[in-house]
Amino acid sequence: MEKYNDIVVGSGISGLTMALLLGLNGHKVLLIEKNPRIGGSLTRFFKQGVPFDKGFHFTGGLYKNGVLYDMLTVLGIHKYIQPIYLSHEKANCFMFESEQKLFEIPSGINNLRKKLKGYFPDEGLAIDRYFDMVQKVCAQTVSIDLREISQSPDVLDEDFISLDDVLNKLTDNRLLKGLLSAYSMLYGVKPSEISFANHSSACFNLYESIARIKGGGEGFIKAFRKNFSELDIQITCNSYLTDFIEIHDKHVGRFVLNTGEEIASDRCIFTIHPKKILKILPQKYLSKAFVNRISAFESSAGFFSVGGIWDTGDSVDNFKPTMVSLCPSTNINRLLDPGYTGTPPLIIMKNLETVKGKSCQIINAFELSFPEHVSAWKDSKPGKRPSGYLAYKQQRISNITKRIIQFYPEYKNSFKVVNAASVLTYRDYLHSPDGSAYGIKQKIGQYNLFGKLPLRNLYVAGQSSLMPGLLGSMLSSFILGRSIIGKDKYNQFIGQRLCN
Amino acid sequence: MTKQEIITKVNEVFEESFEIEKEKLQPQMNIFEDLGLDSLDIVDLVVALQEKFGIKIRDDERIRAIRSLGDIYQFTMTMQNKAK
Repeated sequence: MEKYNDIVVGSGISGLTMALLLGLNGHKVLLIEKNPRIGGSLTRFFKQGVPFDKGFHFTGGLYKNGVLYDMLTVLGIHKYIQPIYLSHEKANCFMFESEQKLFEIPSGINNLRKKLKGYFPDEGLAIDRYFDMVQKVCAQTVSIDLREISQSPDVLDEDFISLDDVLNKLTDNRLLKGLLSAYSMLYGVKPSEISFANHSSACFNLYESIARIKGGGEGFIKAFRKNFSELDIQITCNSYLTDFIEIHDKHVGRFVLNTGEEIASDRCIFTIHPKKILKILPQKYLSKAFVNRISAFESSAGFFSVGGIWDTGDSVDNFKPTMVSLCPSTNINRLLDPGYTGTPPLIIMKNLETVKGKSCQIINAFELSFPEHVSAWKDSKPGKRPSGYLAYKQQRISNITKRIIQFYPEYKNSFKVVNAASVLTYRDYLHSPDGSAYGIKQKIGQYNLFGKLPLRNLYVAGQSSLMPGLLGSMLSSFILGRSIIGKDKYNQFIGQRLCN
Repeated sequence: MTKQEIITKVNEVFEESFEIEKEKLQPQMNIFEDLGLDSLDIVDLVVALQEKFGIKIRDDERIRAIRSLGDIYQFTMTMQNKAK
């Protein structure tokens, strides 16, 4: 029987980070993935030769000495990641359709302050105070030194005040409030439900810069794979845990795989959705309080996405990637309510990809959606969906296409839809319990699931533990990794890797 | 809410959420040594108390100082009064 130091369950960015971090510290690691390939939301798939990203589209924080940059450096994968910055004029815009007003969002907090003051000349004080607060929070969270991280950081007052409450105190301008809270689509929680601290941590890096990665999330997967091969890290796909045996003193001795194989390991770290963890843990070791706490977590928002190709025959030499977010109203709380039945917000991304050896303009559009929108068909499986669902999907594809053409009328005759995915599609292809894009809804004052589980050599990290998105997922693995490796050894390791 | 009502509700949390027998629920009982919780159960306990009393509890020093069931009665009373 194989014996490992650590089993890591789930190979999204958090699992990959955890496996590599432990491997680099001399641990023998087994990485378990349920899908046929590793990578989770980082993976791509091809349809008619066109590459589509399953979940990872862009990230902030790649600037030098930012915490993401540092984490990638420590893991030794920074050199393999090629960012494509959305930094030109009009690279990132918000369109408030109710007011027919378009706002450009430049990179860099100082540029953004200046730009917004130009749009809202009477709101200079509110704009400055907002960004001052964001920067203050981030100085204590995401701007931190990797050596200083810990699982119980100081609690900030901003952890207990909502984004909405902060904005309402700063200004009465609905449009400005709408604009400053519209990034909540990128973590899937209403401005009235997210803490200002969590909002700030998630947005700070996006304010500084937004970058796509050459080759999409596959760029990360390749880099991790390359480094795994030099260490004692085994990968097993199409695999998941079915049982925990030889449990003594709340410690699991052996882990059973779906193949029936038994594995011995000192620890097991889950980086999958908390509700999936709850399903596989042995129930008799769980208190009702624990079960109730996990069951009560709500879903963050998800998306209905449409992907297609623009074949204009024109040269693509001067092409630059762009992102525009269409917001039908300034009331972001309403737009992020699963019960809202009006036109949803839509994020349209234009990128360049290689299709059958040729550079092509690709569009991916993401309309906000919720598990509630598809609950009527929740028991159906891919390939066997009922006709009502297919009609729903067709209707949404048609609406989204109309909105894309409305914004870019010049492409009326050249846009062709290649792929579409609903919340159910995401649920089934990414093994998420509900298809939401950002794990659990991280509400103000909530105690997320992070660290040790009721069986004490089982742990949890991931995007639902700390902060949604790539950076939060990776950071959760570093924080947990620190306590597994041991504070002193970890600090020495980080110091060495950052100096090299 | 009277002191007795608070004690009854806290005890309900221990009975319902941690399946601890009613007879054991005395104020002097140490929640770790006598009632079998461990430090990691505290988060689940706090979440269950929030739910039961409809209050928000911040993770602070006072939670880390809790040892006996009586400490929890006292802590909940303080939080309950603050929420008024």
